[in-house]
Amino acid sequence: MTNVLLILLIITLLYVSIANRIITYVRVLALQGFILFGVTYLQLKDIETWNLVLIMLETIIFKAVAVPLFISYLIKRNRMTRETEPYLPHFVSLIIVTAIVVVTILLSNSIKDTHLDKIFFIVSLSTLFTGLYFIASRKKIITHVLGYLIIENGVFVLSLAVGNEMPNLVNLGIMLDVFASVLILGIFLNKIGDVFRDADVDQLSNLKDY
Amino acid sequence: MISISLILLVSLFFPGIILRTKSLTSGRLGPGLMQPVKDVVRLFRKGAVYSDTTSFIFRIAPTIYFSSVLMACLVIPMGQYRGLVSFDGDFVFFAYILALGKFFSIIAAMDTGSSFEGMGASREALYSMFAEPAFFILLGSFSLLTGFTSFYDIFNSLHLGSSITYTLGILAAFVLIMIAMIENSRMPVDDPKTHLELTMVHEVMILDNSGFDLGLIIYSGYLKFAMYGALIAGFFIGSLSPGWSVTAFLLIQLVFAATVGLIESFMARFRMNHNPQFILALSSVSFLIFLGVLLVLEKFV
Repeated sequence: MTNVLLILLIITLLYVSIANRIITYVRVLALQGFILFGVTYLQLKDIETWNLVLIMLETIIFKAVAVPLFISYLIKRNRMTRETEPYLPHFVSLIIVTAIVVVTILLSNSIKDTHLDKIFFIVSLSTLFTGLYFIASRKKIITHVLGYLIIENGVFVLSLAVGNEMPNLVNLGIMLDVFASVLILGIFLNKIGDVFRDADVDQLSNLKDY
Repeated sequence: MISISLILLVSLFFPGIILRTKSLTSGRLGPGLMQPVKDVVRLFRKGAVYSDTTSFIFRIAPTIYFSSVLMACLVIPMGQYRGLVSFDGDFVFFAYILALGKFFSIIAAMDTGSSFEGMGASREALYSMFAEPAFFILLGSFSLLTGFTSFYDIFNSLHLGSSITYTLGILAAFVLIMIAMIENSRMPVDDPKTHLELTMVHEVMILDNSGFDLGLIIYSGYLKFAMYGALIAGFFIGSLSPGWSVTAFLLIQLVFAATVGLIESFMARFRMNHNPQFILALSSVSFLIFLGVLLVLEKFV
């Protein structure tokens, strides 16, 4: 069942790579939150109950509900246009994301370590690289934030793989999550949203002394 | 023998069920279940008109197209029964006999010398080309999983046990439904309702065919739907007893036809430049099936 959920996570990445609208990204992020909730419940069996409750509350509240709702509020408030405006066509994005998954599988297959849970490794690494790719290939700042959140989900998956032995790593992942929420809340709401009407990175490169 | 007769039987009702689903979702009763087949029979009674500029290729192409689809149906098993033709590696035969038929309908379209038809043929060839890796990765993964290379052996040794194999079955059904929609030029990539100038894929490719030939081409489309439905059914009914497997087969075909009708009712046709990425996404999903198979076989860890 864990494997099914993790494969579903990769399918959401493929879906994001050909999605046209920002709101689709936000919905996929919420879906990823629910998937991670399920994986947490199934995977972390050996840790203390209170710690498990904390982690699961965090995944469901922050990852699946609060952050997506908040981002969609931000999108409305800042009157952003709906398109994601990638630098490359979606077709190329899809090929690149598929190639990322293939390369991660090959990479992890070359590792001869029996302690490593390969499926977690593959999924987290490909989520991480895909998030990086989204940051590099999309124009708008909001999509950069979304790409960062995808990376964070990847890190969380990797921490879940060793969660039974080292619960502290999972808690560190949660810290990263809370930190990211504060990041979006503080910087984005107060500064960039008001200064730049359409929050396009191209305009940042225009800043210079006159 | 039983599988080909069931496929032929289903192909008579399949388009009617699609049409009925579409009518019901748009709040109409719609024509009778046999109406699409009656239309084909009407076309069969007519003679064909041939342009002076066409050669013999244009005349034989519809026949070859129809017989290629019929031959592809022969290799498909039904539950415990083998198809009429069954040998190792017959899924490669299946894919390329269909490609042969498609090749002939493409060069027949080029043969007319019409620029419209050439464009439609080029797009149809492009979409089939993108759908091919999805099909082969899918079937290749399943033959890796079971260790056999013919449809009959693959379906019969496929035991759906754990949750991951159910996922693989559902993903495979999804990929096959989408391949069937692409190969039949139905809704997400092409619109069968818009004749001539709007979509410019399949309908424009067969613009010059008339009468008997047109009837053959249209009926081949129905047959193709029943054929892909039989393939999808094969993933789930391999280990059932004969009586149950026939029931399950018909039920799966019914659900498949209703699904096609629902997809056509609630989805808009994609813009032409979105089609390749959509079809390529199917290959990516089949690749995930491959990953799942590697997981089941414990090639990892």
